[in-house]
Amino acid sequence: MITRTVFALIIINKAGGLIYNRTFHEGGLNKISTNDYLVLAGTFHGVHAITARLNPLKFPATNRSSTSSTGPLTRPELPSGLEVLESENFRMQCFTTLTGIKFLLFTDTTQANVDLTMRRVYDMYTDYVMKNPFYQLEMPVRCDMFDRKLGSYIREINNR
Amino acid sequence: MVVYSFYIFDRHTECIYSKSWLPPAHSGAANGTTTTAKSAADDAKLIFGTVFSLRNMVRKLGGDDDAFVSYRTAHYKLHYYETASNLRLVMLTDTATLSMRNVLHQIYINLWVEYVVKNPLSPVEHKGGAGVRNELFELGLDQFIRGLM
Repeated sequence: MITRTVFALIIINKAGGLIYNRTFHEGGLNKISTNDYLVLAGTFHGVHAITARLNPLKFPATNRSSTSSTGPLTRPELPSGLEVLESENFRMQCFTTLTGIKFLLFTDTTQANVDLTMRRVYDMYTDYVMKNPFYQLEMPVRCDMFDRKLGSYIREINNR
Repeated sequence: MVVYSFYIFDRHTECIYSKSWLPPAHSGAANGTTTTAKSAADDAKLIFGTVFSLRNMVRKLGGDDDAFVSYRTAHYKLHYYETASNLRLVMLTDTATLSMRNVLHQIYINLWVEYVVKNPLSPVEHKGGAGVRNELFELGLDQFIRGLM
C-alpha cells in the first residue's frame, strides 16, 4: 500500500473558475468528468467564502461601523477561509494567494509536509505560468514547462 | 482545547439544537439580543450549507463510503459526524484540537440516544427542536463539554 501520495492538483481563479486540473496518482480519488470538476471548483469557491464568515470569535465584515468606533488602531485580522479539509480517504490542503487564486492539493491522509509541497507548486506557478508572456490572466493554464516541471516534482514525491 | 459551539441537524436539514460556549462579549458584539438570536439562526443555516456541500464534494471525490471528518481555517476548526439515520452533529473548536469524531460519537451514543431517543415523551421528529431541549440532555452535554475543556 502506498502511504505518501499526492493525488491531484486543482487551481481555481479568483472568480471561482477552474483553470488547472491534474491527477498524479490513479486510484486515489474517484474519476470524475471535467464538467464535474468545474462544478466542484465553483462550489468550493462559494463554500470557502462562507467558511471565512463563520469565524465564531468575531463578526467579520457585517458591522464595519462598530469596529471602526473601537479605534483606528485595531486592524481587523485577515479573514481566512478553509485551509485543510480531512475526510476518511483523503486530505485536501487549500492555499489562497493574496490575489485570490486558490491551489487545492489532494493528498493521502498521512501525507506530511504538504505546506512545503504547496510552496513549491506556487513557486512553479509564478515561474512558469505568470512569467509566460503568452499566458492570459484568469484563463486556463496551458504551459508545457509548468506541466513538465510539476509532473517531475510530484513524481519524485510519490516515488519517495 | 476550547469548544466554541455545537449544532445538531436532523434529516430534514433543520437545526434542532444549537449551543454556544463563547463568552457573551464575543457572541453579542454589542448589538442587542434580537440581532444575536437572528445571527445565531443564520449561522446555523450557513454551517449546514457548508457541511452539506463539503460532504457531497467528499463523497464525489472519495467514493460513497468516504466521510467528511473536519476542516480547519486559521481561526477555528469544524468537526462533523453523521449517523446512519442522517442526523448530523457539528462542533466548532479552536484550531489546535485534534479529531473530535469520537467525542461527537460519544455525544450521540451517551446523550442523544439515552436522553432524547429513549425519552417516551419526546416526539419522533424534533420539529423546531421539540424534545431535544430537555434538562438531562442539556446538563449532560454541558458537563461533557466542560469536562473536555
